[in-house]
Amino acid sequence: MNPLHEIILKNGLLFDVLGVIGLGLLGLAAVKLARSHQSWGGSMMAMGAIALLLARLYLVLAPYFINDDVLGSIGPIGISLTIGLPPLLLSLGLASIVWGLWGHERWLHDENR
Amino acid sequence: MSDGGFLALGSIAAVRPVFLIVMGVFLMLIAWRLAKTSGVWTARLLVAGALLLGFGYAVIMPLFAAGVIENYLPGRHYHGSAATVVAWHLVRMAVMNTGWLLFGLGLAMHAKIFSSPAPRPRAQARSYSPHESIT
Repeated sequence: MNPLHEIILKNGLLFDVLGVIGLGLLGLAAVKLARSHQSWGGSMMAMGAIALLLARLYLVLAPYFINDDVLGSIGPIGISLTIGLPPLLLSLGLASIVWGLWGHERWLHDENR
Repeated sequence: MSDGGFLALGSIAAVRPVFLIVMGVFLMLIAWRLAKTSGVWTARLLVAGALLLGFGYAVIMPLFAAGVIENYLPGRHYHGSAATVVAWHLVRMAVMNTGWLLFGLGLAMHAKIFSSPAPRPRAQARSYSPHESIT
């Protein structure tokens, strides 16, 4: 492994930490919005942030424990879960964050008018 | 794909880039509308994060999802040059994670989670101390 790859792997961990902090802040803000304004967009955003965090956790951890033994023991349905579930979580999380943000923005617009 | 038919919905190769583009554009649009009604730095953070995320979701991630850019995995051989793959990987990580960080910070400031909820009553409102006048 050449030094460029090592630098990128270290910075990759750093960037992942930044993204996780941002998603955590997003979830906190969404919960605060949902509690203080009673806006449904907030809880939608919080669910999206949780889904994105779960998918990211799996993607970060998967290279450390997924090997042939694990894949053999969970069977074909488990393998298709490991293939299909992370993109599904990523898509659903992104969709619900955007949907919740839209709902919150529309709610705010109605409130100010 | 016989027993993963439902789960494969999230990763259909042809739909996913379009979905990502639509989501990125909507994210930028909604964040811009949300930023119009909030303070200066909140709006700056929100818009900066949403622009980064929009760029990431509308340009970079569809290229990855469509297979134009090869995915970076440690210890794999590439069809093209390895430096290009590594550089795109670095760009994607920087854009997406910085975007989420800035967007989360902006939304947190928009939701006012950094300001204390109400000024506490002063401590001198208490008129006695428990160590006094125990007779």
